[in-house]
Amino acid sequence: MSETTREPDARRLATDARDRVRFEEEALALSDQVYRVARHFVGSREEAEDLVQETYARAFRSWRSFTPGTNLRAWLLRILTNLNIDRGRRIQRQPESRPLEEGDYFLYNKLEASSDGTSDEDRVVQRLSQNDVVTALSEVPHDFRDVLVLVDIGDFTYADAAQILDIPIGTVMSRLHRGRRILKQAMAESAVGSEP
Amino acid sequence: MCNCDECEQWMQPYMDRVLTDAERAEAEMHLDECAYCRRRYRFEQHLRRFVRQAVDVEPMPAELKHKLATLRTPLQ
Repeated sequence: MSETTREPDARRLATDARDRVRFEEEALALSDQVYRVARHFVGSREEAEDLVQETYARAFRSWRSFTPGTNLRAWLLRILTNLNIDRGRRIQRQPESRPLEEGDYFLYNKLEASSDGTSDEDRVVQRLSQNDVVTALSEVPHDFRDVLVLVDIGDFTYADAAQILDIPIGTVMSRLHRGRRILKQAMAESAVGSEP
Repeated sequence: MCNCDECEQWMQPYMDRVLTDAERAEAEMHLDECAYCRRRYRFEQHLRRFVRQAVDVEPMPAELKHKLATLRTPLQ
């Protein structure tokens, strides 16, 4: 091979290496956020750690399929979601069958009624314990919980959640709506019991 | 101006900032004038913060961060 053909090759390799290093650094800078989502998607810390490692191993192998300038955080979490499904997490197709309260004010009204008549918002929220929330979230079926975790806890947009979970944005909105209702109902039952 | 039933339906989209400008203005006008809905709106704000804090998880372990760094492609 002549010097003149070798030179562009060397330049291309150098550019490639620089792009890859930049990709890896940017991906690693997001690892805390990826871990946080993984921790909510799976049951234990150990499972979350394994899932994050697999996610990064795959991301580093397939870095060329990432389009620079698009949302890297959503791209990484899309890999994580796929791996989580591959690991045996079945997507729940059956709809949540529990009848739900119609109104959005249901939880406030229920807590207010059980808290010696106070309507002060702070004190009404204090009727809930951390355990009420953790237990209630664990009772929300996966499909709904994943959307809640991304939008309400992870602060992702509807569009990001749709990309990560590979579902239409309308489905994100309907799952979010129903997921919040399920969560509120479970919190109400945990905090004040299921009697009317 | 919307009524309490509409305000209740709009509460989550309002907090998610996905209402149209006109809907948002209507919701805000109602919240300004209705103490019943305003209390519930403030509760929803507190609730979102509380849920987020309640389910917060421990930071990523340092060993995991180290393991991820070892997955990087070695420089030639």
